[in-house]
Amino acid sequence: MKAGEKAVIQVTGLYKVYKVGDTKVRALNGVDFNIHRGEFCAIVGASGSGKSTLLNMLAGLEKPTKGKIVIAGEHMETKSENELVAFRRKHIGFIFQSFNLLPTMNAVENVALPLTFQGMDKSKREKLAEDAIKLVGLKKYRKHKPTQMSGGQQQRVGVARALVVNPEIIFADEPTGNLDSRTSEDVMNLMKKVVREQNQTLIMVTHDNHLAEYADRIFHIKDGKIIKIEDKRESAESGSVESEEKE
Amino acid sequence: MKVLDLLRLSTSNLFKRKMRTILTVLGVTIGVASIVVMISLGLGLSRSLTEEMSSYGSLTSVTVEDSSNTYYYYEDEGSSNTTEEKHLDDDAIAELAALPNVEQVVPMLRMDVMLKSGAYEGNYITLYGVPDGYLESQGAELAQGTFPVGGNGQMQVLYGNQVLSQIYNPKTMSGYWYDGTMADLDLMNDTIFFILDQEAYWNFQYGGTPEGGEAPKMPKKHIFETSGILAGGPDDYNSYSYNIYCNIDDLKALIKKEFKNRTIPNQPTTATGKPYKEIFYNMLYVYTDSMDHVKELQTTINGMGYSARSDAEWIQQQQTTMGYIQLVLGGIGAVSLLVAAIGITNTMMMSIYERTKEIGIMKVLGCDMRNIQGMFLVEAGCIGFIGGVVGLIISWILSAVINMLANTMGGEMGLSSNISYIPPWLALVSLVFAVLVGMVAGFFPSLRAMKLSPLAAIRNE
Repeated sequence: MKAGEKAVIQVTGLYKVYKVGDTKVRALNGVDFNIHRGEFCAIVGASGSGKSTLLNMLAGLEKPTKGKIVIAGEHMETKSENELVAFRRKHIGFIFQSFNLLPTMNAVENVALPLTFQGMDKSKREKLAEDAIKLVGLKKYRKHKPTQMSGGQQQRVGVARALVVNPEIIFADEPTGNLDSRTSEDVMNLMKKVVREQNQTLIMVTHDNHLAEYADRIFHIKDGKIIKIEDKRESAESGSVESEEKE
Repeated sequence: MKVLDLLRLSTSNLFKRKMRTILTVLGVTIGVASIVVMISLGLGLSRSLTEEMSSYGSLTSVTVEDSSNTYYYYEDEGSSNTTEEKHLDDDAIAELAALPNVEQVVPMLRMDVMLKSGAYEGNYITLYGVPDGYLESQGAELAQGTFPVGGNGQMQVLYGNQVLSQIYNPKTMSGYWYDGTMADLDLMNDTIFFILDQEAYWNFQYGGTPEGGEAPKMPKKHIFETSGILAGGPDDYNSYSYNIYCNIDDLKALIKKEFKNRTIPNQPTTATGKPYKEIFYNMLYVYTDSMDHVKELQTTINGMGYSARSDAEWIQQQQTTMGYIQLVLGGIGAVSLLVAAIGITNTMMMSIYERTKEIGIMKVLGCDMRNIQGMFLVEAGCIGFIGGVVGLIISWILSAVINMLANTMGGEMGLSSNISYIPPWLALVSLVFAVLVGMVAGFFPSLRAMKLSPLAAIRNE
């Protein structure tokens, strides 16, 4: 971690407890970390480790039981649902595992959808959407409906949709989960390249250690706790894998 | 989110599910059409009823009668309540004319007369004295001749179109009411004798000579100039058809001359049974400017010591009844619209279940919750609007068909106007109502859509 760099995300003492019948399940059991602007972070863990819960809370889709989440200087845990929606609209891009494009809209319209929600004029938002589609290399497919595109192409549209609002942070939830390994690599390379070029912050959740290798930092999560943070940049500099045990 | 984008999203959703939208719209269409047609029937009925009522007489007048004309059941108990009997003279006319909302006071003088012409006679036919111009102003129509005019020395009379049916031949007992044969009289040209003092006539005909008195004399027979006959056949009743009309001042003068100091039929007497010196009017018609003032005016006049009556109560009763009929008819229509509203709710609920994921995606991507609610409300409102428009078109067609059928076979029912009537306000109100019903029906589903968890979008199935 470089000193002086302002953290985009600050998480302190984050707990999430679900009640299942009489037993309490601690999905997150005290999580602290900071993420800086321009970083590509991967949250890796097995199924049920709490990684998806963490992502949902960072994106303001779920409320934490305890703890603080500060994103771009704003406390997420105190916001009402409508404020969270407004916050996502302005500051957050989202890439889904199952792409989640609206089937009735073509590529450009899908990419422009978040801008529609912002209340942007049709001509302006379509121009921005066209730019984003060019960026992910789908210029030829811009008038295609999702059903006329392959999975990889659909996810590229998804990436363009996350980028188009020029968000503070992009969240990706198993972005290659529905893709074959070759297409996965393409999409991962694209994401990495775009994030680098645009100086975007990307947080990706995956269970695949191989995919996590694309990230700058890897958060290993198990039983609701971060057990290890790998920093690929430092390890690349020092030439050795440095691990950090977290309690 | 821009309103235009919201509309575009909503309508595209409706288009996506054409069949379901059409079926839901059909429900609203039937609902709106049944409400509009039912109310139009109620309105048409009430309109033809009002027309019918005004043919019976003026709806804006109060009739003031001389108290001696009304039946008194307590007469023997003495005048405990009435301090003074008020009679209808020119002072009374002036007093009533000064009341607020009164436009005109018309006096009427009544005299039951007997007609005799050759073998024919007619008993107790009412001769009315009215001011010149009164009948014309009430819209009475002439079959021939002119309206009677007073003040030219010779009294003119106007016959109602059913007067002739009152005249019969007492010897052969033939007449309109006996064997259906009309008296063979030409009212315009034949000489007709009027006997004003019928009591004297009966005494002369059948009464014996009272002890110590002189034998009764045949009362005077008058011949008047016939000015005209009112339009209509022997079966066309209106409020003038059984009467004979003449100028009121002529009649007054005639009665004075005929009955000098004797008791005059249809005229009040003093407490001791003596006739008054002057002739009082039997009736005053007090015309007011609007139907709404009739009841109030009637109460005021009664409070002044006169005996006033009007059709206001009856009309009010009729209107209340019509109101109930309209309510029932509208209620029947409302039931089908309620069913349609439930249909809308159902459609929207289903739509929400189908679109749970889509709504979740929108929420994750930052679609304002009110926009999501608005989207569903607009969809439901659109269903209501389209249903309302189509329903109105169908209502107009149905209304035209009903009127056509009613006019071809309902002529003998005496319904002159259309029985189904859709005024512009009904069309407008029903359209607004349809949209409102749609929105209300869509409100609960829209609330549900708004509250859906965005996590649905994350879940992978």
